[in-house]
Amino acid sequence: MVQDRQVYKAPMFPLWAVIFAIGIVFAIATYPYYGAAYVTSLLGKFLCFAIFALSIDLIWGFTGILSLGQGVYFGIGAYFTALSLKINYAAVNPTRYGGTLPDFMEWNGLTELPGFMEPLQSLPFAVAAGLFFATFLAFIFGVITFKRHIYGVYCAVITLAESLILQEAIIEYQAYTGGFNGITDYGTHADINVLWLILVVTIIFFIIGRLLTHSRLGTILKSIRDNDTRAEFMGYNVANYRIFVFCISSFMAATAGAMYAAWNGIISFLDAGPVFSIEGVIWTAVGGRGTIIGPFIGAFLVKGAEFFLSGKLAWTWQLIMGGLFIFVVLVMRDGIVGTIGKWWTARKRHVPVGELIEEADALAADRQKDFRPAGQPKGPTEI
Amino acid sequence: MESIITQFLNGFSVVAILMIAAVGLAIIFGVAGVINMAHGEFIMVGAYTAAVVGQLGGNTFIAIPVAFLVVASLGLIVERGIIQWIYERPLETLLATWGVGIILQVVVKLIFGPELYYVGAPKILDGGFRAIGLLPFPWYRLFLIILAIAIMVITYLVLFKTDLGLKVRAVRRNRTMSGCLGIDTAKVDMLIFAFGSGLAGVAGAALAPIKSVSTTMGFPYAVDSYMVLVLGGVGSLWGVVAGSGLIGEAETILSFIYNNVIGKLLVFIFIVLAIRVFPKGLFGYHERS
Repeated sequence: MVQDRQVYKAPMFPLWAVIFAIGIVFAIATYPYYGAAYVTSLLGKFLCFAIFALSIDLIWGFTGILSLGQGVYFGIGAYFTALSLKINYAAVNPTRYGGTLPDFMEWNGLTELPGFMEPLQSLPFAVAAGLFFATFLAFIFGVITFKRHIYGVYCAVITLAESLILQEAIIEYQAYTGGFNGITDYGTHADINVLWLILVVTIIFFIIGRLLTHSRLGTILKSIRDNDTRAEFMGYNVANYRIFVFCISSFMAATAGAMYAAWNGIISFLDAGPVFSIEGVIWTAVGGRGTIIGPFIGAFLVKGAEFFLSGKLAWTWQLIMGGLFIFVVLVMRDGIVGTIGKWWTARKRHVPVGELIEEADALAADRQKDFRPAGQPKGPTEI
Repeated sequence: MESIITQFLNGFSVVAILMIAAVGLAIIFGVAGVINMAHGEFIMVGAYTAAVVGQLGGNTFIAIPVAFLVVASLGLIVERGIIQWIYERPLETLLATWGVGIILQVVVKLIFGPELYYVGAPKILDGGFRAIGLLPFPWYRLFLIILAIAIMVITYLVLFKTDLGLKVRAVRRNRTMSGCLGIDTAKVDMLIFAFGSGLAGVAGAALAPIKSVSTTMGFPYAVDSYMVLVLGGVGSLWGVVAGSGLIGEAETILSFIYNNVIGKLLVFIFIVLAIRVFPKGLFGYHERS
């Protein structure tokens, strides 16, 4: 009789975490009834940012692909929704000149809605189209690059350029996108139902993230992250897994963007640009990459600190942000959640925390070895 | 057709700008293996140095060596303070240097204020010349082309004809072995990072007269430089030439035919497709062979 090997597997949803989560969800869901309106508006935003950070965590923390262009997908979701809301709002609320077109179109000399924008009059279609378009773009991008083993630095640079180009395109085609001013004034959608919608979507994505990463699939993803060559030798189609996760993560980012557009009531090119994308990376890093709860904590803490500090002196906040990047890389490599987790493991295993950190550093160095320059020259001018 | 030819000639100055901006990065990224996201801010600091030199009565010819020294020492500080601890984790150098970039922007803005600075070109390079039947071509653009060639030649000489260059290439090939043979690899990394940063400073000083100097001027150059390296391949000087040549010319001509954004977009698509065919860039190593 062969005995099954006993492997300790952490439960999918530990009881204490479920109780804790229910408490937080309840607190957020009922907050508008007793809290300040300003904080409520921040809560909705932060939840969207948290989903955005989670999408970066899935692709970076769990699969090892640093995407600096996640803002592209957020921006696509946001712009499709905002355009649709704006078109509908303008149709019933005439502008100062009596037109029924969005004001930025009027300013730029359009007299009627461009044909390709007519389907956007239906909000559900616009949202669906935004989500589909973002996911499709991610799919195309994944097929082109991951299938050829392009990732790491090259992938980071290309995605960064992608978001820079989208930002410039938004500014250039201002007749259709609102340009530098963004899309503003399309009615208020920041009511409690939308907050609940955001909250429900957040919970769903949180559960999806946990299911994805805490299953067999998650183990495969982590093995790809840690050593993709070995994973490939084991017979896994590394590229397909990467494309799959990239699509899911861009879908999440686009959903976050769509809800953010509805909640925030103003969208600009900054929400699709490289700076926003990299900010998302730092939320993930601060909270703890490679954990599902980390991005939530990171987004709430960093963004929360920004809202309460940047009011006083904008430049101190920027300095703190810059310092945070360096601090996270040099000192707190695993973010808040990862550091707590390390400390916990160290206590259970009765080893010093320093040892675990060294172990993790060695692993990280091993993982990134491919990006260190080395190799044989081909010609006389090779460095 | 004639206007396309004019654009082609104009493209050479864009190529020169790309080359000047990218060569420092090619060294930092290709040799030291650091993904320096503060490269754009190094260029910006170089441009501000040129602005200061201009206020003190100097011109671009003086500003270029001064900017080299200033930004090289800045690079030295950044390397000693931060990057020396994270050479082993290249992807994370990206985040740390992004932080450095933000801090540099804030500090420069605090010192110089938010207004734009304008730096004049040297008097000798004022005006331009007119080739037969074509639009006038400014002298300063010609100077940029010559400067780009000069920088490439100097970089070649430093890397291939000096003792330091020999050590640099040895470390690039096989870090452990060079260490065993008595090369101080940490020192080589430090010097090459400083040299690459200095070249970014030169780029900033040279670009200052054709661009208004502001704290955010650098970032697009950094992204463009990375695209040059992605297309041309890391670790080859020809890669820099080929990458900036293709991108610069294509962008100029396509921007002329369509517009700026479509030109950029088409070039971007071209680059993505090109690295699908050449994953290591046109002149890159095939490191696993």
